[in-house]
Amino acid sequence: MTARRVLVVEDNPLNLKLIRDVLQISGYDVIEAQSGEEGLRVAQQNPPDLVLMDLQLPGIDGTETLRRLRQGTLGPNVPVVAVTALAMAEDKEAAARAGFDGYLEKPISVRALPGQIEAFLAGRPSVQP
Amino acid sequence: MGERSERTTRVSRASTVLNEQLRDAREQSAASREILAALGRAGADPEAILDTILERAAHLCRAQAATLYIPEGDVFRLSRDTGKIPEEFRKLLLDQPLARNRSSTVGRAAEEMRTIQIPDVFNDAEYGRKDLQSLAGYRTLLSTPMILQNEVVGVLSMWRTNVKPFNPRECELLEEFAVQGAIVMRQDSLRRALTSKVDQLEALREVGDTVGSTLDLDEVLEQIVNNAVRLTKTDGGSIMEYDESTDSFHVRAAYGSSAELLKQLLATTIDRRTTLVGRAATARRPLEVPDLAETELDPHLEALFGDGWRSVLAVPILRGDRILGVLVIRRRSIGSFGPHVELLETFAGQSALAIVNARLFGELQTKTKELEIASHHKSEFLASMSHELRTPLNAVIGFSEVLLDRMFGEINERQDEYLRDIWNSGRHLLELLNEILDLSKVEAGQMVLEPTPFSVGSALDYCLAMVRERATLHAITVTVDVADGIDTIEADELRFKQVVLNLVTNAVKFTPDGGGVSVRASREGTDLIVTVADTGIGVPVEDQERIFESFQQGRRGAPKEEGTGLGLTLSRRIVWLWGGRIWLQSAPGNGSTFGFSIPGVLQADSEPASPAGEDLPAMLLVDDDRASLDLNSAYLDGLPARVLRAKDGIEALESVRRERPAAVVLEVGLPRLDGWQVLAELKADPATTAIPVVIATDVDDRSRGLSLGADAYLRKPIRREDLLEALRQVGAL
Repeated sequence: MTARRVLVVEDNPLNLKLIRDVLQISGYDVIEAQSGEEGLRVAQQNPPDLVLMDLQLPGIDGTETLRRLRQGTLGPNVPVVAVTALAMAEDKEAAARAGFDGYLEKPISVRALPGQIEAFLAGRPSVQP
Repeated sequence: MGERSERTTRVSRASTVLNEQLRDAREQSAASREILAALGRAGADPEAILDTILERAAHLCRAQAATLYIPEGDVFRLSRDTGKIPEEFRKLLLDQPLARNRSSTVGRAAEEMRTIQIPDVFNDAEYGRKDLQSLAGYRTLLSTPMILQNEVVGVLSMWRTNVKPFNPRECELLEEFAVQGAIVMRQDSLRRALTSKVDQLEALREVGDTVGSTLDLDEVLEQIVNNAVRLTKTDGGSIMEYDESTDSFHVRAAYGSSAELLKQLLATTIDRRTTLVGRAATARRPLEVPDLAETELDPHLEALFGDGWRSVLAVPILRGDRILGVLVIRRRSIGSFGPHVELLETFAGQSALAIVNARLFGELQTKTKELEIASHHKSEFLASMSHELRTPLNAVIGFSEVLLDRMFGEINERQDEYLRDIWNSGRHLLELLNEILDLSKVEAGQMVLEPTPFSVGSALDYCLAMVRERATLHAITVTVDVADGIDTIEADELRFKQVVLNLVTNAVKFTPDGGGVSVRASREGTDLIVTVADTGIGVPVEDQERIFESFQQGRRGAPKEEGTGLGLTLSRRIVWLWGGRIWLQSAPGNGSTFGFSIPGVLQADSEPASPAGEDLPAMLLVDDDRASLDLNSAYLDGLPARVLRAKDGIEALESVRRERPAAVVLEVGLPRLDGWQVLAELKADPATTAIPVVIATDVDDRSRGLSLGADAYLRKPIRREDLLEALRQVGAL
């Protein structure tokens, strides 16, 4: 069975590296992008099974990137999960309204992350504590 | 013609004269009767009576015209006449009224207070109003003063256009009419004085209402000018506002002024040092110009004179030492404003109040806006800082976690210990950030509660699960007890958990190894009460208030303490947000019990409330006003007392009998059963007579309260110290 491919869109290189390393060691194929535009390109070249996307990105933001992803090659069943430091209820709601399949709050728990990704892929969105 | 016939003729002449005299006398007495009868009638129109007097006088004395002049300052103005007087004559008189001097019979009659006749104005060297004469064409003039209490209140005057002096009888007749006229004038002036006093009071009340109710300065000032002009029966006016920066005045409100004049006034610089307006303000007293034609005109007065105004009064509008402006009142005719000055000063006072109010309000608005902007900036800054700091923290916590979890291989004990230190510090910083953000949101009024139904028991379990690991590590027993009947409530679950978690985290932190922490949920009426008790070292009384303030951990001095110092502050703000109270009961060595309430989330329960806070004395607050209850509750915040509430007299009595509170704080005005009755019943019942009652009311009847047995009497508004002092005095605290 081939490894599932996760696209991580995150502008902070350290956080990008952290998520990539944790997911890689958990057996995922990780592709990465540091902006929304780059994310769109990468997703077109290598269609991912799941996208983890920071909401606050330079250039086009996470919500807009999501919209364009859905318009493009990304299948409707590919989960796109928002990652943000804005821990406010209204942001969660906004993310849900924008069409994200889930929401992870920073700092992400590296212990919980592989399980959460697995749950999203299995169509069981994990509940963020 | 014989002697006889001559005598007959003489007799007949004498008889004719007699007949004429008789007829005159009859007419005169008829006129007098008519006038006196009219005077006696209630509601008689004094003006009509005066007209009758003039008409009868002219008729009986065979004059071409009769006139009535009324004094105004130093001059006499034409008030009424028998008609048939040239319009130009009236106009000239309006413009140049008669002076109180020898230039006219009216002036002389007033000055000498007796009847004056000029048989022929062409032969009187002192007669000075040839201008008037040329318009009316009279030759013989007769004037008599109307005198009341030694004061000339008017002058009756008659003229003939031929030279034919009035005979003594005609003079007498006019004098008699003058007496009657004076009586009419007195009645009329009394009535007028009364009416004008009523008008003045009404206008002042109206202006006062406006000053008090509207902050639209222009509206208030316009109303003031309008009323001032109306009540003084002048023709126009304005309020000039003083501008300190230019040391000059500008029009702020005007009445009775043409658009042309207003435009001109707006374009005129009214300097403080060189204008009438400025001089009145500088001298801090009213200044007038009775005749603009006879004074040096400053630019302001020049504009007025050019527009046809003739006399001006300037009343300064002052506030303490400050000049705010000047109220200007003007007339199109000349004359002094003497009797009106006092009233106008009152209007100036009202204007001062309005201007000060409006300025204060303006400043307040500006300040509020500035504060809002500053607060907004602060919130924005905190939000963005929080984000900027979280991102690197994410890496610190994440990478240390990756290593601690041996994801990339084994590490030695020392490395493990250091990584734990890094991870702990990172988590601590993160917690601090979250709390700062939350606190700034509360302070900016941006924290919005989101009530949803949730289970109290599950929420408490969740919070305890978060600290259980640590408690186990220190052999601390953690128990939770939810009273019967408490299940699901509707509140902000996230914030509820946040407060509970803060309290239990603190409790575990400050409890020595082997101690215990117990969490209880209970009810007080419809309020949910949550208490967290520990067996820690306790908090000294002097620190119990301070501990709720930012970055104050008191002297609990736990060795392993690591709190942010913001937790209790934030908890308190959250509890306040939902209208609850938060308190601490503690004594050094005896542990601490923190408690908080969420008001009104439980169903009313007819069962006796389970004793919450167990041994805490209860204070029963009775008031039908929710805000008063909340306020007094807040006053008791942090004290070792639990608060009970009742909203009417019946509820109060039930609560007292059930709960036996340590004291009752009682409003007098209550629905169903008023406070006096509640007090009387409590004091009459041996079971409740010893419970102290503190009246806290806006009713001013201390003696009634004390005679009914109240133990203390407080008048609203009540300060916290007053309430606490009263409760201490009655032994409830």
